[in-house]
Amino acid sequence: MKLRLILPLLVLAVAALGPWVPVGSPTAPVAGPFESWSGAHVLGTDILGRDVLARVLAGGRMLVVQAAVATLLGSVVGLGVGVWAGMTHRHRAARFTVRGIDALAALPGILLLLVLATGAPGSGAAIVAASVLVSVPFSVRVNRERVAALVRTDYARAAQARGDTVATRLRYDIAPGLAPTALAEAGIRFVAAVQLAATAGFLGLGASAPAANWGRMVQENSAGLTTNPLPVVVPAFLLVVLAVGVTFLLDHLAGRVLGEADRIGAGR
Amino acid sequence: MRLAGWLTVRAAAAVATLAVLSAVVFWATEVLPGDAVGTTSGPNATDAERAAIRISLGLDRPAHERYVDWIGDVARGDLGTSLTGRGVGEIIADRLGASLSVLVPAAVLILVLAGALGVTAGLRVGGRLDRGLNATTLGLVGSSDFLLATGLLVVFTAWWPVLPAVALVPAGDQLWQHPDLVALPALALALGGFGATMRLLRASVAQTAATGFAEFARLNGVRGPRYLWTVVSNAAAPALHGLAIMLAGLLGGSVVVETLFNVPGIGYELTRAVAERDIPLIQGLSMTLGAATLAILLAGDLLAALLDRHRAHSPAGIR
Repeated sequence: MKLRLILPLLVLAVAALGPWVPVGSPTAPVAGPFESWSGAHVLGTDILGRDVLARVLAGGRMLVVQAAVATLLGSVVGLGVGVWAGMTHRHRAARFTVRGIDALAALPGILLLLVLATGAPGSGAAIVAASVLVSVPFSVRVNRERVAALVRTDYARAAQARGDTVATRLRYDIAPGLAPTALAEAGIRFVAAVQLAATAGFLGLGASAPAANWGRMVQENSAGLTTNPLPVVVPAFLLVVLAVGVTFLLDHLAGRVLGEADRIGAGR
Repeated sequence: MRLAGWLTVRAAAAVATLAVLSAVVFWATEVLPGDAVGTTSGPNATDAERAAIRISLGLDRPAHERYVDWIGDVARGDLGTSLTGRGVGEIIADRLGASLSVLVPAAVLILVLAGALGVTAGLRVGGRLDRGLNATTLGLVGSSDFLLATGLLVVFTAWWPVLPAVALVPAGDQLWQHPDLVALPALALALGGFGATMRLLRASVAQTAATGFAEFARLNGVRGPRYLWTVVSNAAAPALHGLAIMLAGLLGGSVVVETLFNVPGIGYELTRAVAERDIPLIQGLSMTLGAATLAILLAGDLLAALLDRHRAHSPAGIR
């Protein structure tokens, strides 16, 4: 029960703090390829004889940073457009904008990722941009629905009728009800962004070859699975724990804020 | 009549999306640095040679003119010529078979598995199967396609070597003639789509089973296949949207799976084209994949609308 809340935080800590742990170079060959775990190399070595532990520690931060930046940008746009579309009196313009952004959701994320990566080879910006493009439509839709529901409440109508400014209504009528939804939504987007960033690494996009990346580690070391499975299994495990764990964590946090009825992952 | 108007709006939206995609594709591949000149001329070319290639490829003209030309050609069905000298349309036609021979079994597998398990779990919410599947599908949804595919690769080629790791099709044969080569990629793709689809079907069935008319049917002693039909036929329409989204998502997943298993399909060709910076090929493949995705979503919408309409008008319709 507690473990599944601690695990994702632990993985996030490994990703964020890993590059600072002094375990040697993640890019220098130190032994033969695919050596099994030993005292000198706790997780063994990878395809080029590099220390797997050092690479695992170095390979998570970029993913998490890219995902966090993408989530932040996506949330800002999603919240901005969502709140505007939910509160505005120009219903036709709002509907048109939301439909337009919605149409983007039809495009596969990997396609956008590949196309943008062609234009900016070896750059993390393409990955962030693709994540944002994929996430914004969902973010807008969720936030707008919530704002529209909040605007219809009696207290929000009363505030509007007594002539409160938009800023006041936003601060006291909309924001408290919107915050849990926006937070949960951002969490789901974060998980999706981590997956897209890892897939980018797997496909060999983003920062170029010697740099460590959990997604790329899975790809480059799958040839040595029978000799030393750890360079594939460890990063893959971390990625799964991160994705599933953050979902659980959010579920827990959102459950605290929203009460049982509105929990995200809880079945019905 | 309202359906026709609605359909026109949806089709227009799909075309508009495709136009946005074309702009993104063109901007990313031709306006951003690293255009086709560097690839064609090689590292040893002089500036004069580069300029000559730039002119011969028409890259000296303003971007918007080239975009209009390109989009006009695409609209007429001319996707241009790959840097390898082959027509892009020809390459796509060539690769389509391999892609379909993986996509179709995967889609069928998802429909059968997610359908059976989703309905069973949805009818018994909170049961042992439901709880087990809930945890499993959450894990599947949390894992990217490439992790699932690598997992299968580990299990079936390293630990229990019964299937070939790489789809090496003998010359002259088609991929679908070799089920052993199709099995792993199709299974990997199916696992990726299964989790979300099953959860969606389960939710839809559970919701339908909790409605008044389902309870009414139960209280009237409707049991077995008839009860199943009552619930499933009413849960189908909302689930159809989800199925269309799943099918469209398979196209994206197939890029990863085809690359990992070396399936000579459209997705594999796309990652190869990106690695080799074959701009015309990237443009043609992206537009094709985008158009296919939008077509699937549109078809799903249309089917769901027809199903809804049918139910609303049928005298026996339960609403």
